[in-house]
Amino acid sequence: MIPPVAERTAPGEADIEVSSPGSGTPLVALVGPPNSGKTTLFNQLTGLRQKVANYPGVTVEKHVGRARLDGAHEVDVVDLPGVNGFSARTLDERVTRDVLEGRMEGFRAPDAVIAVVDSTRLESQLMLVEPILELALPTLLVLNMSDELAARGGGVEDGPLGRRFGVDVVRTNARTGEGLGAVRGFLAKAAQRGQGTAGAPRDLTGGARSLPVVDTFKERRERIRSAVSEADHRPPSPSKWTERLDAVLLHKVAGPLIFLVVVALVFQAIFTWAAPLMDGVEWLIAGAGHWLSPRLPAGWVRSLVVDAVFAGVGSVVVFLPQILILFLFLGFLEDSGYMARAAVIADRLMYRVGLQGRSFLPLLSGYACAVPAILSARTVEDERDRLATIFVTPFMTCSARLPVYALLIAAFIPAGPLLGPFVGIRAATLFGLYALGLVAAIGTAFLLKRTLLQGKSSSFMMELPPYRLPSLKTVGLRLLDRSRIFLARAGKIIFTVTVILWALAQFPRTPEGPPPVEDSALGQIGQVIEPAIAPMGWDWRVGVGLVSSLAAREVIVGTLGTIYGVEDATETSLNLQANLQQQLDLGSALALLVFFVFALQCMSTVAVMRRETAGWKWPAFQFGYMLTLAVAGAWLVSWIV
Amino acid sequence: MSDTRAGGSRLQDMGVGVECELECIDLPDGPAEALLERGVLPGSRLCMVRRSPFGDPIVRVDGTVLALRRETASCLRVRRVAAA
Repeated sequence: MIPPVAERTAPGEADIEVSSPGSGTPLVALVGPPNSGKTTLFNQLTGLRQKVANYPGVTVEKHVGRARLDGAHEVDVVDLPGVNGFSARTLDERVTRDVLEGRMEGFRAPDAVIAVVDSTRLESQLMLVEPILELALPTLLVLNMSDELAARGGGVEDGPLGRRFGVDVVRTNARTGEGLGAVRGFLAKAAQRGQGTAGAPRDLTGGARSLPVVDTFKERRERIRSAVSEADHRPPSPSKWTERLDAVLLHKVAGPLIFLVVVALVFQAIFTWAAPLMDGVEWLIAGAGHWLSPRLPAGWVRSLVVDAVFAGVGSVVVFLPQILILFLFLGFLEDSGYMARAAVIADRLMYRVGLQGRSFLPLLSGYACAVPAILSARTVEDERDRLATIFVTPFMTCSARLPVYALLIAAFIPAGPLLGPFVGIRAATLFGLYALGLVAAIGTAFLLKRTLLQGKSSSFMMELPPYRLPSLKTVGLRLLDRSRIFLARAGKIIFTVTVILWALAQFPRTPEGPPPVEDSALGQIGQVIEPAIAPMGWDWRVGVGLVSSLAAREVIVGTLGTIYGVEDATETSLNLQANLQQQLDLGSALALLVFFVFALQCMSTVAVMRRETAGWKWPAFQFGYMLTLAVAGAWLVSWIV
Repeated sequence: MSDTRAGGSRLQDMGVGVECELECIDLPDGPAEALLERGVLPGSRLCMVRRSPFGDPIVRVDGTVLALRRETASCLRVRRVAAA
């Protein structure tokens, strides 16, 4: 399946270009701990004028937007990842530190900083922000969620706080837009000052590395304590709502049950509720193809556009609704604060197999697509835990396997009941395939943490933010981002692969046009690998399908359709099923299913693994390991059945 | 940052709702730093607000609620203090 990976914007393509110094527009960095409302503020300031790309060399997303201010002033705003510190234990922390210190390659140093904190947790949030306030850049301290602070009986004077740290202080409620005027005022001042000269690289650790770590933090806390007491800070009483909800959602019995219901709901959403939308997209693409086909010159142009571009790219764009629904759900779960609780509940279970609570989100996302799932593992603080998590994520049954499973199950498994009227043989087979993938993931994690990634487990800890109503604007903008990135990606990788496959099927030309498939370059590749796959009962046709599905798993459906000369090949096409039934027996069909459970047939995953592990070592090992399991599993099944 | 001072009880053994003060963190620098960044350092007031469904402590420190593993909480030495 295809990756909603952020593409780096090509130079010139972006109207917001912050990579080169001297582009004129000043740059303001937004920084703050996770769940401080930083992104909500960013969206309020920039709206739709934002771009998502990657920082050079890493897959951390770079969110840059342009804020238009009164009097034709403009500033660029970069939304840095939410972090808890600058010790660079995670990629996010490293990126945030490098940008603030002016060391990020190809990214100029910010001219001003907006530090956002959740004012209901002022003291602990200032632990992060205090080193930034000392950077001696023009800085605005935003006390966000100040309405909540007041509502819960707390308070703080902004005047003394600002004088103490030598910065401007503004109270806001980013969700309603309260206090935004003052933030814009700060941006306008930054715009008037223009682009500063990037001075010497700064140091966020305050040069305090000579001190024992604990003393650095003790000193910092003393400074914060005296600052907030001067500012007459009264901490709020704990949120009643959060306490009530936690009493249920973290309850001994109800907690895990609700957790299971939530997971089931996410599954239901990505498989059942997405289906009509996916049918709709499929219908639109097919309709467009049919409309276009007679309007193109007959011959290779029509064949390229209709067979390669529409069929190939279309087979991937179909997954857009599913990915969006997944991100809609995850966005709500994350922004409401439930995801942190889910991670705590999952942690005990994950710990047993060598992973941790933060591995839960990547593994769950893996059921839709491994690529965003692998990216979401960036929040796993322990490097060994992160590697183990992303290594096993492709075993989770992603939605690209579903068309393959659906086709083979419909063709080879009878539709009778198995356990009563509700559990049929087909459903049980599908469940078995999902379970097999999960078992492989758990077993592999268990093995890895006892061999290659051995080591004392780090101490998992998770901040539980107060429950909050997610902002529709934030969730909506995130979905828009995802669709844009996903479509750009489908346009690039899958387009290239389908065009190559199409071209291989066109040569060598015969006087009448394209050759029969078995004589084409594509067919010859299949015949070369046929001896290797013959023990599983597969012929060269399946071989061609396997080669083409290296790009993305679901491509095999379309490829088999092309080879059997079936027009309109889909997983429900009866013609294709009939053809398959003649070529494969039950054993070799089951073997093919097992092969797809294990094999890493996805270029996008390999590519993202390479970037996330900074090298070919891990993706190569992962590909080999999964292929070995796949071949061994397939051979075993065809030998038994 | 190993501190083998005896005395003090482990946070893990504290009851829900008991106010205590952190005395020392018996953890290597790496894992300890994650705690320090979140305001959990010697002298901090801690209070376990509940336990997770599987028995791991959830503590409040300076208005922030943190879920820890019991293995971590066993390395935090605390002293009970009278509720304010």
